[in-house]
Amino acid sequence: MAEKFISERNLKFLLHEVFRIEELTRYPYYEDHSKEIFDMILDTALKVSKDKLFPILEEMDTDQPEFIDGHVTVHPNVRDLMNEFGEGGWINANFSYDLGGQQLPLAVVLASRFVFFAANYSASVYPSLASGAARLIASFGTDDMKDLYLPNMFAGTWQGTMALTEPQAGSSLADITTTAEPTDGGYYTMRGQKIFISAADHDGVDNIVHLMLAKIKGAPAGVKGISLFVVPRERIEASGELVFNDVHVAGIYHKLGYRGAPIVQLSVGENNECRGYLVGEPNKGLSYMFQMMNEQRIDVGLGAAGIASAAYYAALEYTKERPQGRRMTEKDPTLPQVFIIEHADIKRMLLFQRAVVEGSLSLLLQCATYADYEKVMDGEDKEKYSFLLDLLTPVAKSYPSEMGILSVSQGLQCLGGYGYCDEFPLQQYYRDVRIHPIHEGTTGIHGITLLGRNISLNGGKAYRLYLDEVTATANDAREFPELAEQANELRDALDTLQDVTATLLEVRKKGNAELFTADATLYLELFGIISIAWQWLKQAIIIRKALQDDATGHDADFYNGKLTTFRYFFDYELPKIEGLAKTLKKHSGVTIAMNEPLFSD
Amino acid sequence: MNIVACVKQVPDTEALIKVKADGSGIEEGGIKWVMSPYDEFGVEEALKTKEKFGGEVTIVSIGPARTMETVRTALAMGAEKGIHIDDPALYNADAYATASALAAAIKGIPHDIIFCGMRAIDDDSGQVGSILAELLGLPSVTVITKLDIEGSTAKAIKPIEGAQLLIETSLPCVITAQKGLNEPRYASLPGIMKAKKKPVEVKKAADLGLTVEQKSTVAKMSPPPARPPGKIIQGDDPAAKAAEVIRLLREEAKVI
Ligand SMILES: Cc1cc2nc3c(=O)[nH]c(=O)nc-3n(C[C@H](O)[C@H](O)[C@H](O)COP(=O)(O)OP(=O)(O)OC[C@H]3O[C@@H](n4cnc5c(N)ncnc54)[C@H](O)[C@@H]3O)c2cc1C
Repeated sequence: MAEKFISERNLKFLLHEVFRIEELTRYPYYEDHSKEIFDMILDTALKVSKDKLFPILEEMDTDQPEFIDGHVTVHPNVRDLMNEFGEGGWINANFSYDLGGQQLPLAVVLASRFVFFAANYSASVYPSLASGAARLIASFGTDDMKDLYLPNMFAGTWQGTMALTEPQAGSSLADITTTAEPTDGGYYTMRGQKIFISAADHDGVDNIVHLMLAKIKGAPAGVKGISLFVVPRERIEASGELVFNDVHVAGIYHKLGYRGAPIVQLSVGENNECRGYLVGEPNKGLSYMFQMMNEQRIDVGLGAAGIASAAYYAALEYTKERPQGRRMTEKDPTLPQVFIIEHADIKRMLLFQRAVVEGSLSLLLQCATYADYEKVMDGEDKEKYSFLLDLLTPVAKSYPSEMGILSVSQGLQCLGGYGYCDEFPLQQYYRDVRIHPIHEGTTGIHGITLLGRNISLNGGKAYRLYLDEVTATANDAREFPELAEQANELRDALDTLQDVTATLLEVRKKGNAELFTADATLYLELFGIISIAWQWLKQAIIIRKALQDDATGHDADFYNGKLTTFRYFFDYELPKIEGLAKTLKKHSGVTIAMNEPLFSD
Repeated sequence: MNIVACVKQVPDTEALIKVKADGSGIEEGGIKWVMSPYDEFGVEEALKTKEKFGGEVTIVSIGPARTMETVRTALAMGAEKGIHIDDPALYNADAYATASALAAAIKGIPHDIIFCGMRAIDDDSGQVGSILAELLGLPSVTVITKLDIEGSTAKAIKPIEGAQLLIETSLPCVITAQKGLNEPRYASLPGIMKAKKKPVEVKKAADLGLTVEQKSTVAKMSPPPARPPGKIIQGDDPAAKAAEVIRLLREEAKVI
């Protein structure tokens, strides 16, 4: 089996050469860090991944979680891994010092997560979920809550979860019905059903802390009545004793992929003894959740890019070793067959995968650096990074998720019949990567968010800032005659985007709300392709500079390989926006006109 | 207890090694450098010993500037301080010169026990620990998989073909670590941040009062011979082809 699942060289290229994260250490918040520290962290992430995560990738797929006597058992290594991630300081890596964290830039934390995800997505989800749930408590909880929950969550001994989804409320969280009834005891009595909750019960930890959305009795209808609660599986009595908190496991689901981590159905408060503790103010739950969602959503994009990266390296290795067929120019059948990596069509598939993986990773780290600068800047600069991050989050979540599936599919295709068989990991990657357009908001919902909300946010300010950023990159590229063609193509693409956006906004102006967002998913796709082209041009500028400084040997191959992938993206992927633009500008309405009876046969 | 662990920076086991055209060594471009895996066992045992008996762990390493990363890695795992001997005269030095430099550095600091890897995975010489012990006038126990310290006695298990030896010696001594001794810990993120502030002295051979003397030199490095191509047995008669396979396995490959 292939040993490589990520390119360390590329990861460091992005962090240091493209995003220059060391510059963050000029700000007091990050001043204790250095490039050396960042590199040691990445090296350690890679080591942990190679030793502990990658070797059990397949095992966690076959030995799935089981539901036995009301509890979920998972792979026996999960406990050890949670300890390792806890003791290693990974769970609280980007929390502030006063909470016991390391104040690491998100870019470094997410780069490490990319490595973990690529090595074994299921295994890495446990600690990152703990981190996400802890973030909610840290941001909106009381000091008592922080003292009570954070140390154990950071240590990896208690699992954190995000419990939003209910049978009747997935995309439409406005419709949740889990209720919270106030009591005099400083807690609420919780009752309801939650489904699909990741890691919501397992034997790799001693307790589970659900960050749960519910409605306080009498709260307004819709999203305005949703509150956030901490609901531990075992609550902590004043004596320190852990007492079962009436959170029952009703079952687990059997999934297509990503099988090493359970998704659980919870039955909350069957005996009216489930206590929930309100986080922050009543009725603000969804807005709290969404403030934290950016990181979670970027995580999903990283998961997709990570799996696609592992699939790419597995495919690459195979194509270098599989002899099949001869060159088109070779007519002599007695000559030995060539390795398939020599066929143009195979190289096309490999280039596609690399373009998706490295383009996605670049956009994701771009978002992470926006979050890092937002944290340390003030005033207008802070606002700028915050707007850009909000605008791009649906894109950074959805492009890698959707294209990751196609990327892994092409990786599988490189192996021919073996791609479809379990002798090779491609079939597992193909199943594993499929989750990403579904959880943390479906692609459809993100499309509607981008077009229906983000583009017009603050009078369209975020959108204009984005156009400026992309334009600035295109202008920077002018310095290099070799990049002039792609710089022009990116500028044309921005014109197309503005044109499409303007005609869609016109539809909304005319009051046709349904037609306006009917093709929002296509709009998101178009936006995604342009954003990845932008990231590739950004990388190409850095590479051109490096090649001017005379890179040699291994480095020259690395840079030239990337430049070829960059050209691939502009020649093969970017032109796809033209078809999308044509459809989007047509305002066809055919999907609205279609109706259920017409689907009858 | 004053504990010393000697570490060497070597190319990652997964690095693609290319021998330089002139045979003077390997191409270093694009190589990732790591702590030699047997030295990791040594560092881990040093840390465990400290955790049990108290004291300090000092890391000693020889090599060019990049070697500092490996020293810092050991500090991030939990060692207290480091000595980095950076002298061109010692780059790619033989086992004797290497051991002399380590001995010169260690002589100057208190040492109750010294850990080395049983060999470095780059030059595979496996001599440094023993020469170091000799130069310091200390006993050494090599290639061990278990260590217990009681008072001033070290009891070590050394596996040999078909058996294992329990070897006792007195402290101070030199121990060389074999796989199985322990499971090296990973650097933790708080450890990595602390490592930056821990003291590392950088020294030249002259600072240690050492004149570098080599007992051997690598005359030439050459890549291993290319693997001979596979053989395809031609013919139409399956029985004859099978017989030929058996003959080749017996006479050429000598595996049956
Ligand atoms: C492996 C896995 C892990 C998960 N982990 C968690 C977790 O930890 N916590 C948690 O709370 N949830 C979790 N979920 C639930 C996940 O977030 C939901 O499945 C997701 O939000 C979609 O909701 P749904 O399944 O109810 O689908 P639905 O909302 O029913 O969507 C079905 C389809 O309809 C489309 N659709 C829905 N509404 C609209 C609309 N208004 N306009 C246009 N199209 C629409 C969707 O895009 C989708 O294609 C997980 C799910 C899975 C599969």
